[in-house]
Amino acid sequence: MNRRKLLTLGAVALIASQWGTPVFAQQGVFKIASLNPITGAGSPYGTGMLKGAQMAVAEVNAAGGAGGAKIDMASEDSQTNPQAAVLAAKKLIEVQKVRAIIGTWSSGVSLAVIPITNDANVLLMHTSGAPALSVAPANAKKLGFRFQATNDRFGRAFAEIAKREKFKRPATMAFNNASGIGNTEGFRKSWTASGGTVVANVVYEPNRPSYRSELQEVLRGKPDVIVTGSYLADTTIILREWYQSGQPARWIIPGWAANGDLLKALGPDVTEGIISVESISAEDSPAYKSFADRFAKEAKMAAQDNVYAAMTYDEVIVLALAVQAVGPTAAADVLAKKVHEIGTPGGTVVNSFAEGKKLLAAGKRVTYHGASSALNFDEFNDVTPDFAASFVEKGKLVRKYVVKL
Amino acid sequence: MTFADFLNLALNGLVEGLLIALPALAVTLVHGLARFPNAATGDVVAAGGFGGYFTFNVTGSLLLAGLGGALVGALVSLAAYYLAFKAIMRRSVITLLLTSIGVGFFIRSVLGMSFGHELKMFSLPLTRAINFHGVLINPTDVQLAGVIVAVLAAVFVMLYVAPVGRMMRALADDPDLGRVSGIRKERVMVVMWSVTGAVCGIAGTVLGMRTTLAPEMGWTMLLPAFAAAVIGGLGNPVGAVAGAILLGVVQELSTPYVGFVYKIALGYVVMLLVLLVRPQGLFNRPQGVR
Repeated sequence: MNRRKLLTLGAVALIASQWGTPVFAQQGVFKIASLNPITGAGSPYGTGMLKGAQMAVAEVNAAGGAGGAKIDMASEDSQTNPQAAVLAAKKLIEVQKVRAIIGTWSSGVSLAVIPITNDANVLLMHTSGAPALSVAPANAKKLGFRFQATNDRFGRAFAEIAKREKFKRPATMAFNNASGIGNTEGFRKSWTASGGTVVANVVYEPNRPSYRSELQEVLRGKPDVIVTGSYLADTTIILREWYQSGQPARWIIPGWAANGDLLKALGPDVTEGIISVESISAEDSPAYKSFADRFAKEAKMAAQDNVYAAMTYDEVIVLALAVQAVGPTAAADVLAKKVHEIGTPGGTVVNSFAEGKKLLAAGKRVTYHGASSALNFDEFNDVTPDFAASFVEKGKLVRKYVVKL
Repeated sequence: MTFADFLNLALNGLVEGLLIALPALAVTLVHGLARFPNAATGDVVAAGGFGGYFTFNVTGSLLLAGLGGALVGALVSLAAYYLAFKAIMRRSVITLLLTSIGVGFFIRSVLGMSFGHELKMFSLPLTRAINFHGVLINPTDVQLAGVIVAVLAAVFVMLYVAPVGRMMRALADDPDLGRVSGIRKERVMVVMWSVTGAVCGIAGTVLGMRTTLAPEMGWTMLLPAFAAAVIGGLGNPVGAVAGAILLGVVQELSTPYVGFVYKIALGYVVMLLVLLVRPQGLFNRPQGVR
């Protein structure tokens, strides 16, 4: 045999093997992939998210797999960077032939990846907040599932807290992007719907050296509370300049801006009484308790420090339950409809994969109540998690109560 | 809106202008002497800011932080000159501009990789503003103005009193004529890049104290700084500071009419108007004095 013949034969063999693989794969395994922010801005969460997903895969496979197939999960690092995430998603879809991608973090990444998953009829389960991910074009095929609260729901939680704290004259300040304005608009809609008035709304530009005029405008309305859709750097400058102005007011700020770094940067005098609002896991649910125990033992991490890990865990479990119900070879839209059904009320409530598998095998409808939330997908496949209100007391964040929407 | 409100807006604009003034001064110095728009200026500002931050954390002294920032800025600026700009100093402006963009990217990446992107701040005690019949005056702003006047004075003494300044201006005007009259170009270049680097470093330290520190802080400040320098007349130090203040005050005073999102665009409208009426900038004579 000469070299040319050998090459030809080799190529034929290679093509033949590729040809055969999908059929084989669809019988024995269901391929999915996690695309987490292992590095970049999301790096505090990425490793835990991957661990959460891996725990769920192990749980599913230990229970005998889903619909006769074992779950096989590939993983890639999104680098919290849309370009890197797009390259990784293409590789996962075209080379690894995955049926679903889970665990994308940050709206920029999810918005960049979702056109690719849509084109390939692959499900995307993400943890991003941008309202644009709910509707067409991003979610035209309803193959996208959101496990994090939308910015709009954050705004509603802000309004609940403002009501509970008996504030009368709120004002808003929003960073000029979809997420920032989403927060304050959500607040404004919810607050005015229940008859309240907002004394001032200001949208400000990023990267300014000072926000005094913006503050002056807000403070002229003599608000008793200022609600923000802001980020860490601008919040730091705004709070410092507010403190210098000497006019009293309280603040309701999203948890990603009002965190330990902010307290460290500004000190206890400025930050006293700030209300920090973040979405939390379903902390009193059985699924969360079981997850948190295993997460502490296996990943050596506290589930409360990483709400996104419970989300990726739920993503795999609810996906596996849907595969159990419709089979590993079902088309993407059938699978997505089943995921939606299992994430909405109406079936028998289950808290784990094994429990759900048993009922599904018996032909029953199930509703999965997850570790991150009771899911309860709306028509856009968005979940409604719980929120926690934490108050700054002497330079420390103290959680006071949980808000359910 | 009362009169006090407008006065407060004008004061806010003054403070914003003063914060932009030092980076604008750095832009204009490099342009005046090396005769190209140095897009790495902002990143030298950021490097100086980090230098000042670490000096402050070690020594706890604001004065030493400023000196540390100036030193780091000067070193980074000199390194950029020796490693990147020196070899191509006689090439076209566009070559130098593109090189400076590359140098800026490099500095920013090194800062990002070395110190990370998380928020850093000078932990300084906060002072409350003095309320004077509804007009808020902040003591730290008075200090800020003092620093800027001092830096401006120093730059002026160097340019117009010290012999090295005269050499600089001569070289900037005509490098060949400067050389045949016995000016050692190399030595003057070293002084020029050190001084502009030091101004950048002080700018970064002041900016870092008033806002937050990040590798991108200089880059985001570059465009307003350029606009201010252009308004004042490129190469003119007083013009840069006056341009920055004008830009800041006009922007803030416009907010009751155009809102907070469009005030930035308005700043550039002012720049366009200035260029239409006085293409050489507010403070330059048509021939330009360097």
